[in-house]
Amino acid sequence: MENLGIDGKLLLAQMINFVLFFILVKKFVVKPFTGFLNQERKNEDDKSKLLEKLKKSEEASMDAERKMKEKMKKEFDVLFAEAKKEAQNIRTDLIKQAEADAQDIKNKNKKMLEEEKNLLYREVKDKIIKTSLMIVENTLKESLDESSRKKVTETIIKNYRGRLKIYEN
Amino acid sequence: MKINPKLKQDLKSFLLERIQKEQNRVIVISADNLSSEEKKVLSGKKFTDLNWNQAVYQIDKSIIAGIIIKVGSKIIDLSLMGSLSKLSNTLYEID
Repeated sequence: MENLGIDGKLLLAQMINFVLFFILVKKFVVKPFTGFLNQERKNEDDKSKLLEKLKKSEEASMDAERKMKEKMKKEFDVLFAEAKKEAQNIRTDLIKQAEADAQDIKNKNKKMLEEEKNLLYREVKDKIIKTSLMIVENTLKESLDESSRKKVTETIIKNYRGRLKIYEN
Repeated sequence: MKINPKLKQDLKSFLLERIQKEQNRVIVISADNLSSEEKKVLSGKKFTDLNWNQAVYQIDKSIIAGIIIKVGSKIIDLSLMGSLSKLSNTLYEID
C-alpha cells in the first residue's frame, strides 16, 4: 500500500475523521435541521388547516349573514307594507277629517254670511223705511197748510166706517 | 193701624167713580181746532156709543192731520201720523 502511495494510518485517520464528522453532522446539524423542517411543515399544515377552518367559518358566517339579511329584508318588507297600509289608512282618515272640518267651516261661514246678509238687509230696510217716512212726514208737514189739513181731517172723519182698530194702552 | 171701614168704603167708592169717569172720558186730539160741524159729525153720526158731554179737545201738530180719539185706555187713531206709523209697521212686516 505504501508503494501505491496510500498511507494506511492516514487513511484510517481520515476514515475515523469522516465517521466522526458524519456522526457529528448527523447529530448536531441534520437532526435539528430535519426537526426544524418537520416543525415548519407541521406549522404549515396547521396554518392550512386553520385557514381552511377560518374559510369555512367565514363562509358559514357569510351564509348566516346573508340569511339574516334576507330575513331582515323580508321582515322589513312586511313591516314596510304594514306601515304603508297604516299610513294610507291614517291619510284617508286625515283627508276625511279635513274634508269634514272644511265642510263644517264652509257651513259656518255660509251661515254667518247669511246672518250678516240678513242683518244688513234689515238695517238697510230699516234705514230706507225711516228715511222714506221722514221724507213723507216732512213733505206732508211742509205742504199741508191749515185749510188742507182741515180738508184731510174732514175727509178722514167722513170716510170713517167704524172699522179701525182700537188700540188698548 | 186700623182704618175706619166707612172711610175705606167711601174712598173705594170715590176712586171707583173717578176711574169710571176717567174711563168714559173722551179726549179728541187734532192738528188744528175742530169746527163745531166736525164735532157734531163726530158725536152725532160716527161715535154714538161714546159719552161726548165731557169731551176734551186737544191740539197736537205732530199728528199732521186727522184726529185721535182716546177713551179711557182705548185709542182710535185716525191721524196721518198714525197712518204713516201703520204703513211703517206694514213695511217692516213685508219680507
